[in-house]
Amino acid sequence: MSTLRKISAWLIPSLCLLFIASAAFKATRPSEGLDFKGFGTLPVVSNGRVQPLDSLARNALLSIHGKQSVPGDDAPASPAAWLAELNFNPELADTRKIFPIHHDDLLGLTKLTPGEEKSYSYAELQPSFPALQPEAKRIAATDSKTWSPYEKALMLLTRNLTLYNQLKHALALPGQGHLESEFSLFLTDIGAALAESDKQTRAEKFNQSTMDNASSRVKIVMEWASMTEVYTTPSGNAADGWRKLPDSLTDAVEKGALHPSTLAYARLGDAYRARDATAFNSAIKDYQTWLLVNRPDQFNKSSAETLFNAIAPFYLCMVLYVVAFLCAIVSWLWQGTTFRQAAFRVLLIGLTFQSLGLVTRMMLEGRPPVTNLYSSAIFIGWGAIVLSTAIELFHRNAIGTAVASVIGFATLLIAHHLSLSGDTLEMMRAVLDTNFWLATHVVVITLGYASTFLAGTIAIVYLIRRAFGNAPQTTAASLRGMVYGVICFATLASFVGTVLGGIWADQSWGRFWGWDPKENGALLIVIWNAIILHARWGGMVRERGMMVMAVFGNIVTSWSWFGTNMLGIGLHSYGFTDAAFLWLSAFVFSQVLFMTLGLIRYRSATV
Amino acid sequence: MIFRPLKFFSSLRLTVALLSFAMVLIFVATLTQVELGIYEVQAKFFRSWIAWWDVMPGAKKFLIPIPGGTLLGILLIVNLLAAHGSRFKLRWNKAGMIVIHSGILLMLLGEIFTGLLGREAQMTINEGEISNYSTFPRETELVVIRPDADGMETVTAIPQARLKAGAEFPLSGFSVKIHSYFPNSEILPESEATEKFDKIRATEGFGKGYAVRLTPRETMDDRRDLTTAFVEVIPDGGNSQGRWLLSNAFKGEQSFEAAGRLWKMAIRPRRLYHPFSIKLLDFSHDRYLGTDVPKNFSSKIKILNPDTGENREDLIYMNHPLRYGGLTFYQAGFENNDTTTIFQVVRNPVWTLPYISCAMVGLGLLWVFSQHLIKAIARRNKITPAP
Repeated sequence: MSTLRKISAWLIPSLCLLFIASAAFKATRPSEGLDFKGFGTLPVVSNGRVQPLDSLARNALLSIHGKQSVPGDDAPASPAAWLAELNFNPELADTRKIFPIHHDDLLGLTKLTPGEEKSYSYAELQPSFPALQPEAKRIAATDSKTWSPYEKALMLLTRNLTLYNQLKHALALPGQGHLESEFSLFLTDIGAALAESDKQTRAEKFNQSTMDNASSRVKIVMEWASMTEVYTTPSGNAADGWRKLPDSLTDAVEKGALHPSTLAYARLGDAYRARDATAFNSAIKDYQTWLLVNRPDQFNKSSAETLFNAIAPFYLCMVLYVVAFLCAIVSWLWQGTTFRQAAFRVLLIGLTFQSLGLVTRMMLEGRPPVTNLYSSAIFIGWGAIVLSTAIELFHRNAIGTAVASVIGFATLLIAHHLSLSGDTLEMMRAVLDTNFWLATHVVVITLGYASTFLAGTIAIVYLIRRAFGNAPQTTAASLRGMVYGVICFATLASFVGTVLGGIWADQSWGRFWGWDPKENGALLIVIWNAIILHARWGGMVRERGMMVMAVFGNIVTSWSWFGTNMLGIGLHSYGFTDAAFLWLSAFVFSQVLFMTLGLIRYRSATV
Repeated sequence: MIFRPLKFFSSLRLTVALLSFAMVLIFVATLTQVELGIYEVQAKFFRSWIAWWDVMPGAKKFLIPIPGGTLLGILLIVNLLAAHGSRFKLRWNKAGMIVIHSGILLMLLGEIFTGLLGREAQMTINEGEISNYSTFPRETELVVIRPDADGMETVTAIPQARLKAGAEFPLSGFSVKIHSYFPNSEILPESEATEKFDKIRATEGFGKGYAVRLTPRETMDDRRDLTTAFVEVIPDGGNSQGRWLLSNAFKGEQSFEAAGRLWKMAIRPRRLYHPFSIKLLDFSHDRYLGTDVPKNFSSKIKILNPDTGENREDLIYMNHPLRYGGLTFYQAGFENNDTTTIFQVVRNPVWTLPYISCAMVGLGLLWVFSQHLIKAIARRNKITPAP
């Protein structure tokens, strides 16, 4: 091979590395003006776990708006900046159009005129609260399985409005003036009232109005505490020991001084309103220094998570997989080794990066890789890519690379859509709280899914090439070998994974097998793989038949992965979304089309 | 063409056909769970010879018969044994297949034995209280209790299967007669009852003034039958002393006098008494801060066994059951504002079989497929010799 070719086989991978480096640089560069990057690293407890404000803001924006950005020309540039605006300048935040409403009946109820974006601001929605509330109350009393699309949309809007309000009260009390002085005034007023109350108990003369003033202040703070579910103040050592900002004020009365965290948020609010970058940034620095000394583990973790959010490794991987796929296609069209190598190298960069992302998530959570539907998508992609890499090393014809990049891209896209439902690093429910079974059963069964999808995808490549009639015999033979090998692996992984699931059930519920939908789904994959193998050994199907059957494996696996959850029953049901059902149906339909492609007999075809 | 049974039963075609039917059965049974509870589905689909698939769920218009779990399971076992029996050769490359299929056979047998020998009951204990029995939540029994002087009780239990209208059960000095029996029922105060309700009323006990009507048996997992019966107490050689309304809807027993002493009776969930007792010291249910997501459930208990003199504490929590006296206690639930714990109590003498069969099949598959892989690599090296 000429030197020029060697260089070009490295050129595209190098550009990809450059692309990653620039993303990493952008993520670590400090922000100008108000330091919202630093603000984003501050840890709070929400959704039962310690997380940076950055994650809190991102997940809230994703669930409310469906995107991590806020529309508008003067809009906050980052989720953290939006959270700061929401707490420290709520009047302006209320005018951001972040609540999407698509359902016509809901638009009718809220009396809003449909604009171009179909998104509305809190301020625009506020007049229709009296109409929304009784409807929400009525619907909440009914079974969620029977909700119509309108009812679902209304409940979603209500949930998002509640979430928005809770966030709005997380770091400040809207409508309060100068926070730092308000907070210290609170301390002195309560202190004065306590002194008066002592006088009262000693039957001395006391000042009633001081006590009334203090009790009205306490009432405001207690109401404030009921309006948020975000815990800002690290009071104890464990995650359970955190306090809400208003509660930390009440605690301060006993201690006689404000907690450094309480003080930090008061200063941040004041500096934000005064647009005083120096004060804002030094308040962050002071608090970060305090955290580094007093809560180093929690602060380091939340800084790491902020960086992870900013780099967004899985998004970068999606870009890399597109590049790898295009290179693989080019290598087929021009028969080029150069592009085949370039494609494989780009894939390897993507795999490395995706592995790093997975490991980071595992470290943040302290858990094995798969803990929820979101991470299962990422892990299925990862597993399929690892297997395809082995295939590519074995066959060296870019098929492994192409298939890996398609599955990698598709699974990350699915993961992205699953992340819209909220926090993807959520805490584990008690039943699932066992790293041993998460590391064995869940990982193995997910590899079973990954390999069954891989066999199906390779089979699709075979069927398409056959339809175009240009597949050389050697390629067909190597594809046959790949599919057969991957099905063998899939049988092993899905069987062992399924039985391990049974053993876990025996350990935690006392029954090995309960015919739960998800268990049944996994069993279907095992049986289907076994059917393919037996049909092949018995000579009932040949090369083409095996490919068609492998494509049907995609349908079986997608049923087990998503379909069973949509039934809304059983121990593994995670909720039903209409959009997911449509996508699943579309996927099944597309697979049926590929199978039909395989059933057509071509005159030129030999098998 | 002549039908040759051995060839038919040992054929791979039969394997593929049976496995395909199994897929249909499992898929249909999964869909049916939306309509029916898991217990009903298990009985109708997996523990049956023929299962009826209701194509339009609940409509009962199009019912298609498909082979049930029992039929498929037996045929698969016959197929497996016939295949290995007719083609048995002890060679290294066949050994893997034999191990895999023996493992699968062991797993199928394990499930059959679990069905035959296994028992599942529940134990509900309040904090600070002691219990020495478990109950079967889906079965009831009619009990007649003779309270004895020393605080002991002599219990006569009549299983649900023997309850039917007209049945008479002689006891010492009197007999209990079932006037009418409702496997599942709705009970309402007389004033709220419609004409669908039975005309019969109780004349004694705290069921007076209630009307009863028969309802279909419950099939959903979270619902229980209300077993109800009108019962008469008839002294030997005498006339009925009155009619009582018994039901597991009522808490506690109802008392009556017969043969010169006090008795109590009730319909309640069937009990299984243990030779030891369990005391619930404390139940805790933690949630993650600011959420309703359960962090852990755990029951601190004390085992009291008069036979062995045991008196020790233990902790039962999710994924950490207690194995004691041939039984396994699992944390299954809680109620009464986190002051009552519910254990799933399971007896399954063959619980180790799935572990063994999983290891056998896993290792067998690994053995067979690595042989395939070695062959494939050898083939490739033959085509393109290494440089």
